Amino acid sequence: MSNEVLRVEDADIYVAGKKILRKVNLSVGAGELHIVMGPNASGKTTLLSAIAGVEPYEVKSGKVMLAGEDITNYPLHKRVEKGLVLAYQNPPSFKGVKVSEILKWLRRKFGLDSSFTESLAEILDIHKLLGRDLFSGMSGGERKRLETYLTLSIMPKVALLDEPDSGVDLDSVGRILEAIKLALKHSVSVVLVTHSTHMLNLVRPLTNTVHLIFKGHLVFSGLYDEVVPLVIKRGFEGAAKVLRGWS
Amino acid sequence: MLNKNMAEAARKALSKPAPYGPDVDLSKYDVLNPRRIEPTEILEQERVRDASGRLGFTPEMVRKAGYVQVNEAYLASALVESLRKQGVVVMSTAEALRKLDIAREVAWTLIRPDTDKYVATAYLYGKEQGYFIYVPPGVKVRTPIYTCLLITRGMTAQLLHNIIYVADGAEANVVTGCSIAGLHAEALHIGVSEFFVGKDAKLTFAMIHAWSKGAVVRPRTAVKVAEGGRYVSYYMIYSAVHSLQSYPKVTLGRNASTSLYSIISGEGEGIYDVGSSATLAGPGSSAEIISRNLAKGKSRVVARAEIVGESGPSKGHIECMGLILSDTAYISTVPLLDSKNPEATLTHEAAIGKIGEDQLTYLMSKGFSEEEARALIIRGFLSVEAPDLPPQVKLSVDRVTELISSKGHG
Ligand SMILES: Nc1ncnc2c1ncn2[C@@H]1O[C@H](COP(=O)(O)OP(=O)(O)OP(=O)(O)O)[C@@H](O)[C@H]1O
Ligand SMILES: [Mg+2]
Repeated sequence: MSNEVLRVEDADIYVAGKKILRKVNLSVGAGELHIVMGPNASGKTTLLSAIAGVEPYEVKSGKVMLAGEDITNYPLHKRVEKGLVLAYQNPPSFKGVKVSEILKWLRRKFGLDSSFTESLAEILDIHKLLGRDLFSGMSGGERKRLETYLTLSIMPKVALLDEPDSGVDLDSVGRILEAIKLALKHSVSVVLVTHSTHMLNLVRPLTNTVHLIFKGHLVFSGLYDEVVPLVIKRGFEGAAKVLRGWS
Repeated sequence: MLNKNMAEAARKALSKPAPYGPDVDLSKYDVLNPRRIEPTEILEQERVRDASGRLGFTPEMVRKAGYVQVNEAYLASALVESLRKQGVVVMSTAEALRKLDIAREVAWTLIRPDTDKYVATAYLYGKEQGYFIYVPPGVKVRTPIYTCLLITRGMTAQLLHNIIYVADGAEANVVTGCSIAGLHAEALHIGVSEFFVGKDAKLTFAMIHAWSKGAVVRPRTAVKVAEGGRYVSYYMIYSAVHSLQSYPKVTLGRNASTSLYSIISGEGEGIYDVGSSATLAGPGSSAEIISRNLAKGKSRVVARAEIVGESGPSKGHIECMGLILSDTAYISTVPLLDSKNPEATLTHEAAIGKIGEDQLTYLMSKGFSEEEARALIIRGFLSVEAPDLPPQVKLSVDRVTELISSKGHG
């Protein structure tokens, strides 16, 4: 693939010293949408966090390449500077740290594209949250919209979105989808973890590749129609068996 | 000029230690004779600029300050015409005691000269240096009155007696900066402060301290708030110190209220023993004591807070938070609720911890370096909502908060 931005090569992935996934290979092109599926506790968060460099998750052997650069040993914030950002499944709450402060800082550091961030803020309905303490006392939906906003606003090369739609109402799932579309239009590549069939239905026309994680392996990477209907029909184990001859 | 009985009692108290903080030998410090100085003499000294700069006070602010004390020399600047016409007074306490009945009437009524050796020393040898501020009934002074107490000479004993009197229905905002030139200087600062807040009057008092490794600091403060009055204090220290010990006491009349904030940033090997105490003496009174305590290096921070419910219905709340930034630092919170009335509702919360790894990692995942993330978290920890602070004062406070959080390593 000539326009490849993210490449994971033979990566063994650990959390807190425990091996969760072995020999993972993954390749994402510019402006592509990839979906990662797998049962609870299969290692989706682990995969995304290790790629992003978030401790205690780590890639122990193998490589992570971003736009041709080996970033396997880069510290977390350096990866962000290079254009690889993770949206947390569950971001922590902060006291006394205002959302507006974070945005001011991001603007100064990354020189945000204001027309992009304004559209994004509009889509994700962020304005009401600006004066609030970061994630403190926010509803589930507010958290998800804000975390998606903070992640996409710097217009990264690759955005890793860990369940941006879980616990979110139908309207807000629509908003998050619009945000993803806008990002894709600006050539941001998106790796999306989701469990919701609603979201899966919505992203079908946009999806380039679906990855299935099961029992410690990335068992299959393929087209949406090869994977998703099978998972819905037979469950993860059934789908894994069919796609990989799992037993 | 000293009262015979008080002087006698004070002399006996010269060796009486304070109940808190390390005992200090006061004999090694130099007590100098007070003198008046010219503005130019003060403002052109580099050491004055150094000391005031550490408070975040610009030369402009020092020039406009109502009262400046440098070691034993003082300068009470002319007030703006409009304030003077309304009867507002800012002068040295010594001068006020010579000229004004009200000063003589209230001086030493809240703090007894024989309280401890520090007060006794200030009473006997201080010659009533310090500032006297008077705001007449009904006069609301919205622009902050700045006072600046600086030490620029090593081994100085700066002994001060400050009085603020805000008469019935009046309002004032006072900002006091205390600082020393040179980060290693040895000196003694004893500030005895008596504040009177009249009926339905309001006083906002912000105090910023920037001392040195060798500074011994013993403020002694008492405040009396009359019916319906409000007293807000905002105290910040963000420097090294040899030892600092203070425990201001506020007494509240009927329907009076107070909010007492302190932001302590301990560093080096300093001892910071700082508290606030409020007595709910009148029915309908309320008090909140809020403190944020940060300890770096080998500092020891003791955060005391006390609310005494003497009458009811009344309400008091203590919130005492500590953040430890190094393995060798120490924080202790000592909240005390003391109820003598079943209608007094008194509560407290206290917590001490370190910076959360998950918070640090999260911010780094959004591009902050570790240092930047720390600074942001510390700033968040230190920022308390203090809605009573006037905007200009808020600016000074924010500047100091910025300074503290930018050097957030243990
Ligand atoms: N910090 C940690 N320490 C130890 N084990 C961990 C840690 N974080 C995750 N794990 C374990 O790693 C495994 C994979 O967890 P992970 O969070 O990646 O799952 P997931 O696929 O994202 O699940 P979900 O769909 O529920 O979000 C789980 O068994 C989990 O308990
Ligand atoms: Mg997960």
